[in-house]
Amino acid sequence: MSFDWVTFGFQIVNVLLLLAILRYFLFRPVANVIARRQAETDAALEAVEKAKAEAKAATQKAQAEADATAAARQDVLDQARKDAEAERLALLEKAHAEAEKIVSDGHAAHERNIHENKAQQMARVRDLAAAIAERALTAQPQDVGSYLSRLVASLQKMPPTERGALLKGGNLTLMSAAPLSDSDLALVKSALAPFEINPEFSVAPQLIAGLELQSDSGAIRNSLAHDLEQITEAMRDDGPD
Amino acid sequence: MGASPFNVETAFSIGPLGVTWPVVVTWVIMAVLAAGSFLITRQLSLKPGRAQAVLELIVTTLDSEIRATVPGDPARFRPLIGTLLIFILAANWSSLVPGVEPPTAHLETDAALAVIVFAASIIWGIRSLGVGGWLVSFVRPSWFMLPLNLVGQITRHFSLMIRLFGNVMSGAFIISIVLSLAGLLVPIPLMALEMLTGAVQAYIFATLALVFVGSAVNEAGPPPETQQKEETHD
Repeated sequence: MSFDWVTFGFQIVNVLLLLAILRYFLFRPVANVIARRQAETDAALEAVEKAKAEAKAATQKAQAEADATAAARQDVLDQARKDAEAERLALLEKAHAEAEKIVSDGHAAHERNIHENKAQQMARVRDLAAAIAERALTAQPQDVGSYLSRLVASLQKMPPTERGALLKGGNLTLMSAAPLSDSDLALVKSALAPFEINPEFSVAPQLIAGLELQSDSGAIRNSLAHDLEQITEAMRDDGPD
Repeated sequence: MGASPFNVETAFSIGPLGVTWPVVVTWVIMAVLAAGSFLITRQLSLKPGRAQAVLELIVTTLDSEIRATVPGDPARFRPLIGTLLIFILAANWSSLVPGVEPPTAHLETDAALAVIVFAASIIWGIRSLGVGGWLVSFVRPSWFMLPLNLVGQITRHFSLMIRLFGNVMSGAFIISIVLSLAGLLVPIPLMALEMLTGAVQAYIFATLALVFVGSAVNEAGPPPETQQKEETHD
């Protein structure tokens, strides 16, 4: 058995040299690339975590903005509803006021119309009464003789059959507004003598003035009352204007 | 294998120094490992290929083993333990090449490896504990333990050397005997077994070296954080 110290020394140097070689060419580069990959992985994970955090923050921010927008929208809607309600109430109140004003104005106009109509009617009545009085008074005879003349003329103008039926009808009566005096009575009888009649004489104050002959078959109207009726009827037919 | 496993044949001489075959084979192994490392690591990328993946697996496994034994940054011990593992494994498997004797089948190589581990344990012990602390560690738990600790410090490294030498030398010796007796193909199963033995012995040697160095470091407790960072890329 022998121990070669030279070989021993060579091998120590060789192993130390190999250690240096492998340390420089093998372990260091491999460890570095592992560390680099680990660092990049950590950086990537950190970036992912950061991105996740940012995404979460962005989501929360967006949610908060959405909530704020929804709240603002609700506030706007509430305010719009309040404004619309206030506007509606104001318009309603204004409409009520205008309606009341229109109604009051209408009532006032109606009252004015009533007064004006009454005034116009009163004026028309006055005018009508004046016209009636004027027409009646201008057309009326001044005494019994004149009325008697108109009565005789009316009898003469009647057809003979109608005149005969009137005169020969029962209850032939000559009505006057006031009792006839003897002279007037004599005048009447002399004027009716040609017709061979002998009527009854009666007083009818509603005639106002005039002489009317009537029987069961008919009548001859010859009085102021009759004239007034005819004038009134004629004016009614003329209309309100 | 020569007539005696304790004899080394000289390949050539450099002046007065005779260069033996184990040294030559070691140089070849060093050249192959250096060239392979250079070729593989010159194009490292963050997306590893197969060779880079294997290297990263080796380094990662080595780091996990170191971390499981010694607290702190594994980069401190990675070059030493990794070099021991790779060199012993390559040396043991060099016997697969016809006509090549593994350097670890010779006592000088194993002694050199054991001495390096011994020196490393002393250096790391002194670095961690200081000279005084390292010396005091031999008298713990009492002065009575001083001779035992001194003998133990030597014998465990001696056993480290002898274990590797005995296993590898015996395997190579048996294969050479069987080859000389039985013929060309008969030793193949033994060679396969020798590959397994070589891998196991490389692992055992590296692990024990880690334990010996780590025991010296662990006396001082886990290293401070700053020291770990400084030595991360060591």
